[in-house]
Amino acid sequence: MAKTSLSRLFTSLSEHSIAKLSFTSSRSESVNRSGYNSVTRFVCFSAQETQLIREERSNEGDREAAKENLESVNKEEDEGEDGDHVNKETGEVGGPKGPEPTRYGDWERNGRCSDF
Amino acid sequence: MAASIAYVGGHLQYGVNFCMGQSYKQAIWVPSVTFNGCLQRELSWSCGVSKFLQIRKCNLFRSRTNENWKSFGTVITSAYLRDGSTKYFDFAVIGSGVAGLRYALEVAKHGSVAIITKAEPHESNTNYAQGGVSAVLCPSDSVESHMQDTIVAGAYLCDEESVKVVCTEGPDRIRELIAMGASFDHGDDGNLHLAREGGHSHHRIVHAADMTGREIERALLEAVVNDPNISVFKHHFAIDLLTSQDGSDTICHGIDALNTETQEVVRFISKVTLLASGGAGHIYPSTTNPLVATGDGMAMAHRAQAVISNMEFVQFHPTALADEGLPIKPKKTRENSFLITEAVRGDGGILYNLSMERFMPLYDERAELAPRDVVARSIDDQLKKRNEKYVLLDISHKLREKILSHFPNIANECLQHGLDITQQPIPVVPAAHYMCGGVRAGLQGETNVHGLYVAGEVACTGLHGANRLASNSLLEALVFARRAVQPSINHMKSSSLDLSASSLWTRPLVPKSLGSDVMHKILRITKEVRKELQSIMWKYVGIVRSTSRLQEAEQKIGKLEAKWETYLFEHGWQQTMVALEACEMRNLFCCAKLVVSSALARHESRGLHYMTDFPDLEESKRLPTVIFPSSHTTGTWSSRQLHQQPIVKSMV
Repeated sequence: MAKTSLSRLFTSLSEHSIAKLSFTSSRSESVNRSGYNSVTRFVCFSAQETQLIREERSNEGDREAAKENLESVNKEEDEGEDGDHVNKETGEVGGPKGPEPTRYGDWERNGRCSDF
Repeated sequence: MAASIAYVGGHLQYGVNFCMGQSYKQAIWVPSVTFNGCLQRELSWSCGVSKFLQIRKCNLFRSRTNENWKSFGTVITSAYLRDGSTKYFDFAVIGSGVAGLRYALEVAKHGSVAIITKAEPHESNTNYAQGGVSAVLCPSDSVESHMQDTIVAGAYLCDEESVKVVCTEGPDRIRELIAMGASFDHGDDGNLHLAREGGHSHHRIVHAADMTGREIERALLEAVVNDPNISVFKHHFAIDLLTSQDGSDTICHGIDALNTETQEVVRFISKVTLLASGGAGHIYPSTTNPLVATGDGMAMAHRAQAVISNMEFVQFHPTALADEGLPIKPKKTRENSFLITEAVRGDGGILYNLSMERFMPLYDERAELAPRDVVARSIDDQLKKRNEKYVLLDISHKLREKILSHFPNIANECLQHGLDITQQPIPVVPAAHYMCGGVRAGLQGETNVHGLYVAGEVACTGLHGANRLASNSLLEALVFARRAVQPSINHMKSSSLDLSASSLWTRPLVPKSLGSDVMHKILRITKEVRKELQSIMWKYVGIVRSTSRLQEAEQKIGKLEAKWETYLFEHGWQQTMVALEACEMRNLFCCAKLVVSSALARHESRGLHYMTDFPDLEESKRLPTVIFPSSHTTGTWSSRQLHQQPIVKSMV
């Protein structure tokens, strides 16, 4: 199953912001910042977070910051009536956060496959 | 073990041949093809069966079968009543997964039910089926589409009537589950959230977060526990079915079981028996199945003269975490494998052999993104050619944070064992997951043994064909368990329990007389023999097969079995003795041999069965593989029921 453009957007954003922060990583990709200004509300919010985090510039903090960044991105998805997570693409209530479990055909959660 | 294998031609009309109430003529008693291939008499099935198995027309062989039966002798042992009880029920259910529980809840409205399960009730393959259950629940979806997807996945070996029945009745079975309290994920529009898994052309997977099986099991168990007509006998290991002969008909009267907590034998006499004992993953060393999946039901059914089908189709997952490759080995052997998702390959993971050669491009131009079956075969081929234990799946070239955010489960599991997947490749090996074959079932879950029904993974209903479509297994269990209900009730109503029947079969014996030293030795040897059998199965009956390897497997398994049995009997073990490990071992031997025999019989490659000497599909071979019962006079301890079979007319 193909990732939707929205999730791809989140992923690419994460990559960009994390690449800036991961001093220990030797695999940083070049960041294209020209797209930042033309993006949606979600992306802008996260970009602001990224600005704050980058100012701290701590080696220790980069991984935590990456996590925070991802969490803030996830929080942007709507909360349902009873606080259940609602998936923006599929409308699923209380379902798994993150990438669609069946995107590559099998059923996976956090890397572990349980059905195929 | 003597096994008789045949191709059954054409389209089988289950409904006609297995109809209740008609005088059922036994399927052809085929004199055996013995295991080392020295004896092959004219397979009588070939008469008029080229197009259609006409079971009813084969009464011309009746005289031969009667002769055979006479030669076994009428052994009605005089009742020497041992310690241990006999319990009487209208319905006996073996297994507490979704099939067993679903059936029990229905038949309990009509009579008393015993559920016999070998461990805790929730310990079943169902509980580990985390993905989902497929059904046509979306208006834009159709039964035809689900059928088509199933048949394509099954490499066109599916029984079309079974497929139709399952796809048609699936949605109602799901609705019933919901009515019973199973809680599945919904969309914010209030409808069931339907996912789409590989092989499905529509969204149709119903699920409960990522523990669908567990949720269904929970809901059903709750209902079962609250049902006054159902008695659950946990930690009761089923040993053998209790059967008798009426002419050429085999009739099932119940089951012997061993209470593994109290070490007592319990005999269950029942009018109807449902076998829902699940799979046989543990014939292989690496499997996703829980420890209870030792093929008990398939073995018992085969010993009870039930017809077995399509055992060669074993589904493997290509990339399970290989514990041997971890720097810190797990303290105890992992009970069931940790499967690494395809998403790792989808996200750019590369497969290497232990010489760090990327091998997938040699097998398929799509490399790591080739279909799962191709990847599984390629890995298997590499392992066999290079005589290695695992290959490597490397995702470390990807962004560390992306790896950790997408695959935290794998990252954690590996880190606990000294491996950092952001730096090092992951050791992986294929794991056995699902048995598409099993006890041959008609459209009502009926078998060729009167009063014996099957449902779930233990059954071969023709739904899966040569390969199971994702999420169809829970569905099959639900549909067939439900379908077996009415015929069971009818059968039950026309039967009467003969209270003296209990003494007709020798009672199994707990080996107290052997003493703990001998038992200790026997258990130790049995443990080693199990590992050895699993090793032979993986090495010679894996994903990529060949006639010569399969024949070697036959030889080796035969020798191993003889060696094990000799050891047991030399140490005082008796024919009717039972212990959990020994009984599981005999079941594993039985299932392993069924798989090997079936694999040898299919001279083509189709679905999950791949033969290097027959690498292509053969249209003329697009037939199920069928194993007929073996004769009683030959055979090993694993292929005979513990007790002698009495020949009694009109028992019920």
